[in-house]
Amino acid sequence: FKFNDGIIVSVDSRSTMGAYIASGTVKKVIEINPFLLGTMAGGAADCSFWERNLGVQCRMYELRNGRRISVAAASKLLANTMNSYRGYGLSMGTMITGWDETGPQLYYVDNDGTRLKGKYFSVGSGSTYAYGVLDSFYRDDLTVEEAIDLGRRAIYHATHRDAYSGGINNLYHVTKEGWKKIHAIDVNDMHYEFAEEKKNSMSS
Amino acid sequence: LTALDFVLLQLLQHTHINLYRSTMAPFRTHNQQQNSRNAAGGPGLAMMPPIIHSSEGPVMAKADTIDHGVTEAPYERGFSPYEFNGGTTLAIAGPDYAVVAADTRLSSGYEILSRDVSKLHALTDRCVLGSAGCKTDVDQLRSVLDIKQKIYHHNHRKQMSTPSVAQMLGNTLYYKRFFPYYAFNVLGGVDAEGKGAVYSYDAIGSFERTPFSATGSGQAYIIPLLDNVIGHKNRADEKRELPAEEVVEIVKDAFVTAGERDIYTGDSVEIMVITAEGIQTTTFDLKRD
Repeated sequence: FKFNDGIIVSVDSRSTMGAYIASGTVKKVIEINPFLLGTMAGGAADCSFWERNLGVQCRMYELRNGRRISVAAASKLLANTMNSYRGYGLSMGTMITGWDETGPQLYYVDNDGTRLKGKYFSVGSGSTYAYGVLDSFYRDDLTVEEAIDLGRRAIYHATHRDAYSGGINNLYHVTKEGWKKIHAIDVNDMHYEFAEEKKNSMSS
Repeated sequence: LTALDFVLLQLLQHTHINLYRSTMAPFRTHNQQQNSRNAAGGPGLAMMPPIIHSSEGPVMAKADTIDHGVTEAPYERGFSPYEFNGGTTLAIAGPDYAVVAADTRLSSGYEILSRDVSKLHALTDRCVLGSAGCKTDVDQLRSVLDIKQKIYHHNHRKQMSTPSVAQMLGNTLYYKRFFPYYAFNVLGGVDAEGKGAVYSYDAIGSFERTPFSATGSGQAYIIPLLDNVIGHKNRADEKRELPAEEVVEIVKDAFVTAGERDIYTGDSVEIMVITAEGIQTTTFDLKRD
């Protein structure tokens, strides 16, 4: 989600093949270049291949035009690619985010060519649970610590209730200087931390 | 064209289709409607002969019933380009070594075609690819990777490093996204710094560097064992570093376990230990049942 001091990108790390958990340590945030981040939801190979391809196209833009590509243009490149493969069965739901000359930007791009600009998005099987938390507590003027906490909690609640989400919460913060990885916390540890918190607030 | 013309045109097209439907058997047009933009690729529909050769023998089709006799004499429609030849592979990364192992059984359905077929292939002298799945796709994939690796060697005057091989394999698999290689791969080797590296893949090329990995028919029996022993999950004792010899013993145990419960795994295991010095191969016999 986007707020005044940048963008928080928070993801889980579980990948499933049917009911089998293929991996609990997938990197769902793809570092396209030091200023652009993309997330992964849907088909893992589709996301990682096309976002890597997007990285190539962004670099070509930089070489041809002598300046960094805007987030709007980068997300448009990806959306157009998705559009040309429409009907072929690709599965990808991603958020392209970065900080360019117009400030922090966040776009949602889909495998059927949808491209939406927004302040915050939640994508994936556990998205509804994350939206609940995000909708309740999101404000434009969050401080960085509050924003990180919000991102963490949203993912925790999604992993708690959705069987297809889990693993480790990877959280990144995008600023004017580029993105920075803030933490990688196991959601099980967060569970005990929040349980403690609930107990303390109940008793007080 | 006015709106009326448009409506008339639609009507004409509609009647044309109706005529078409009444002259052909219902079965065939139904199939043709279903066969639009099939993303899975592969060849299309089988023609419906009046005599069906089911697994029980030739049977007369009952074309007048709504299911054309399928429930009474099930038959295989169509042709699938894939076959599952079985087998299990695994790889474990250590601080300065990697162990890659695979069983040597080749099966087709309930038959064992060979007890002595290798699933491991050294792509460079520092990395080994293990693949289970459809043997012909595995062989083809290996040829393609070998060629690409040779071209790289000619162009850059050095062997490909293991992370580069990993990315190349991922891309090669994705280029056939709409008619995939039916190969479940595991790549093990030492990276440029000499540390053990294992990469696990899915069929269309999504990959990740992991401490250990197993693929193939016995995957679900081996990975929980490795999670506990190598990944040290759900254990109370202290985690300690495992030397290569001990890991080889664990690998043998893992294959014995998989062989007990998976029909496609057995006969013998080929184990390759990769270090910065090179690759050593050993074989270990399993039950042949």
